[in-house]
Amino acid sequence: MADDETPSQTQESSTAREFSANGTSMSTTDVEAKLDKGNIEEAESSLRERLSLNSEEARTLLGRLEYQRGNVEAALRVLDGIDLQAAIQKLQPSSQQAARLVLEGVYLKVKSLQKLGKFAEAAQDCTNILDAVGRIFPQGIPDAQVESKLQEMISKAVELLPELLKQAGKYQEAMAAYRRVLLNPWNLDNDCCGRIQKAFAVFLLHSGLEAGPPSLGAQADGAYVPKNNLEEAILLLLVLMRKIHHGDIQWDPSVLDHLMYALSLCSQTPVLSKQLEELKPGVFHRTERWNLLALCCSVVGQNKAAMNLLRKSLHINERPDDLTALLLAAKICSEDSQLAAEGVGYAQRAIDNAKGVDEHLKGVGLRMLGLCLGKQAKVSSSDFERSRLQNEALKSLDSALSFEQDNPDIIFELGAHYAEQRNLNAALRFAKKYIDITGGSVMKGWRLLALILSAQQRFAEAEVVTDAALDETGKWEQGPLLRLKAKLKVSQSRPMEAIETYRYLLALVQAQRKSSGPMKIDSQVEDDKVKEFEVWYGLAALYSSLSHWKDVEVCVKKAREMKQYSAELKARFKTLFYQMNQLFHLSIHSSQPSSSHGLIDLVDIIDALAMMYEAEMLEHLDIGFMHQERGEIQEALASYINASLLDPFYVPSKVRIGALLSKLGSNSLPVARTLLSDALRIEPTNRKAWYHLGMVHKDDGRLADAIDCLQAASMLEESDPVENFRSIL
Amino acid sequence: MSSSNPGSPSATATSSSSASSFSSKAHSCIQALSSILSTVPSSVSSSSSLLHDPTISSQISTILRDPDSGSGDNNLCRWLYDTFHSPDPELKLVVLRFVPIIAGIYLSRIALRKSLAGFEAILLALYAHETTARDGQPISVNVPDLTQPSIYHEAKSSVKNQATELNLAVISPTLEPHGTMRSSRRARIVGVALELYYSKISQMPVSSKLEFCEFCDIWATGIQNKPSSSSSSKQKTILLPWELLQPSLRILGHCLLGAHESKKLYEAASMATKSLYERSLHDIDAKAILATSSLLRLEKMALDPKLNVDHTEIGMSLAL
Repeated sequence: MADDETPSQTQESSTAREFSANGTSMSTTDVEAKLDKGNIEEAESSLRERLSLNSEEARTLLGRLEYQRGNVEAALRVLDGIDLQAAIQKLQPSSQQAARLVLEGVYLKVKSLQKLGKFAEAAQDCTNILDAVGRIFPQGIPDAQVESKLQEMISKAVELLPELLKQAGKYQEAMAAYRRVLLNPWNLDNDCCGRIQKAFAVFLLHSGLEAGPPSLGAQADGAYVPKNNLEEAILLLLVLMRKIHHGDIQWDPSVLDHLMYALSLCSQTPVLSKQLEELKPGVFHRTERWNLLALCCSVVGQNKAAMNLLRKSLHINERPDDLTALLLAAKICSEDSQLAAEGVGYAQRAIDNAKGVDEHLKGVGLRMLGLCLGKQAKVSSSDFERSRLQNEALKSLDSALSFEQDNPDIIFELGAHYAEQRNLNAALRFAKKYIDITGGSVMKGWRLLALILSAQQRFAEAEVVTDAALDETGKWEQGPLLRLKAKLKVSQSRPMEAIETYRYLLALVQAQRKSSGPMKIDSQVEDDKVKEFEVWYGLAALYSSLSHWKDVEVCVKKAREMKQYSAELKARFKTLFYQMNQLFHLSIHSSQPSSSHGLIDLVDIIDALAMMYEAEMLEHLDIGFMHQERGEIQEALASYINASLLDPFYVPSKVRIGALLSKLGSNSLPVARTLLSDALRIEPTNRKAWYHLGMVHKDDGRLADAIDCLQAASMLEESDPVENFRSIL
Repeated sequence: MSSSNPGSPSATATSSSSASSFSSKAHSCIQALSSILSTVPSSVSSSSSLLHDPTISSQISTILRDPDSGSGDNNLCRWLYDTFHSPDPELKLVVLRFVPIIAGIYLSRIALRKSLAGFEAILLALYAHETTARDGQPISVNVPDLTQPSIYHEAKSSVKNQATELNLAVISPTLEPHGTMRSSRRARIVGVALELYYSKISQMPVSSKLEFCEFCDIWATGIQNKPSSSSSSKQKTILLPWELLQPSLRILGHCLLGAHESKKLYEAASMATKSLYERSLHDIDAKAILATSSLLRLEKMALDPKLNVDHTEIGMSLAL
């Protein structure tokens, strides 16, 4: 039994072992023979004679021998001969030597009990050791005055106690024991302390037990006290990472992985990025680090930073075939028309590398290829190129679907792509399938279906779908659906019902604004939120179509008030920008981390600014329209141009200016033509642009061109949705 | 049967009035259950035995897995619903024990357009319970930076006067009351039921956690390995939004890296984690990739003996 414990023990027992004490030593052979015959007393007395030991000392050595030979039960029998409990009670602070001997005996017993699975008993004895050490060193262990062997034993006992309590299933007590050993001065070395901190962090993270915050009272003294398990675990892991950065303890990859798990659960990946950046070179392969950093950046929407990292790691000299990196890069590119062409390359490489065990990722690669091609098509300058890219995009998405027939994302994307190309029957099929497969849980599915129906001029059905969607949606998320419903009412020439729906929408938007305050971010609904000024402008347009000019003015005025509120945001933006600047300087000079709060505010404010510009553009358009209806052409033109100045790529203002100019006589026809062609380059399915361009051609005498354009316009009219399909992509 | 047990030792052992009212609640609960299950062993007489008895849980699981389970008039669903509304916290645990299987089957069946009102009533009850318990408030976590001293570390004194820089992370957002299962809120409602399950997970039997791992795997892959036949059937893939994934990852972390109570559980959790990792690659979900890949690496390290040296072992010296 002694021989099969561990390799080191086998080696030990094959060579002669020796006892040594008081300057003498003796072979263990005779003693082992006596022990094997069960003669503990004889073994003890021969040790006492040869090494001049007392009974307790001899028994401790014998116990250790039996333990090392793997005879755990025999070790316990030997130790039973000492009244350790009494010995512990008698310990004096003055004699560390005596204390060590007694405590080593107890510790041996603890380890033996542990090996026998008697964890509760072992934990009790281990607690006794720590209590005794507490009595010997009431002020904590002084570094300079403690005997090294005693310290070694204490460190072991400190590390073992919480483990024993866990093994005994006493989780609450283990929690308390961890805090006891970590929050009191036991003079542990860095490695030992680090191991205990890590074990505690893991326990806090995964035991599933909420222990409540540590109660320290006055001890905390202004220091940060975590208030729940997850916070405490993250704090401990960050402390461990700092020790690693400072070289106090060795690099331990599991610390980083535990931290990665914990921080990604809380979506706090910027904190993780910081830790990755601080790692010394060499501990981590650089491409792996870049890829992890890119994932961290992408979680919080820092796509530019993520792309810079991915370009490095996917460089031909690094790891150009890493599938995760390729897919992430393709995904980021698929969301940005400027990057779409680059994304096509990554997606293609991902498809090529999806082999063997990674074969299952081929469909994902194809899907990304389709999305990138579709995005690329949108910025393509020639019609020929655009339709080629669109066809390839559809082909890729189709083959992606053959790999993953029930993948809801692909089904939705196919639906949206077909819709944009006005293949409405195919689009309808996919939109319906998407609703089925997601159980109607995703609002964009309902909106797509309603828009497709509206493009097919099936307004009543579209409204039924919208109502069904409203039923499945919580009231705070109903905004976009109500807006859609109002527009469907307009299309069915029911302006009064549309006004009613707009009013309801207005109440919702206002309640939302009041309940959440102007600056609150709620990521789940923020994307789809209807803005209040939008509703006012929608109403204004509706009233002007009814020639209710008074009401139009009221609505525009209300919308302006919203703009006022945006102006406040603008002022706040300036202050914050200033603060950010300062913080940035501070962080350069003191190497402190910069504030991510500031960053979040900044993102929020940039959103608000974008909203403000949009509001201004809509206002210019509405006022322009009002002037135009009243025959005040110059004023109308001025308003439209103002909108264009805010955003030169804003299609509706281009179309309106183009349309207006086309009516001003032959001198302005070339300008009108340029503007309308521009608008069509950005948005090839804009029916009004085709119509007015047709009229320009007609007035200029190019009848064949005019017919083509008007035909396109009339085809599109039969397939125009009430809101742009792009609004849901 | 349970009717022979009103005076059994375990039922009368406690003397306080609330405890005895609990035990009578447990008794009536068991009685109600005996009309639904084919056998209720006589040893099952308290809420604790109800939670841990394997014959009870396997019978309930079988009924829940029946293709027609979960409708509004399903007796077992009604029993679970009523039992959860009992004031006895231990009886609530009995219901929570079946959260994995209820949530698992419910989400897998959404696309089938069957009536699932029985399951929905239970899940909504769990959601309402949590909403009341939290008063609708979000749960958040502070992620400290280390420039300020904490109970576990000291910091440079030079920055002591600056306000502590904390990153506030919301790990479970505000809870709005929901009286019906609107499909757009489904993932959140089920996610909150999983959060509730996680908060009691240390009291859950291994068999319940095993069921969670099984369904987690099905959610991730859409593949169900039927125990009865050797073939596996492909189901519809389930959307895994973060509100569903995040509590699932916490539960999996526990099954994988918590106290190693069962090798079988560890293996099931490894498999589910691997499936979720592959799923996160399919969805190119950066956050899920980070979380699941770290779990997979930790799982490997936990098995590596070189990384798991026992530092509390006694040295080989025989010197005093």
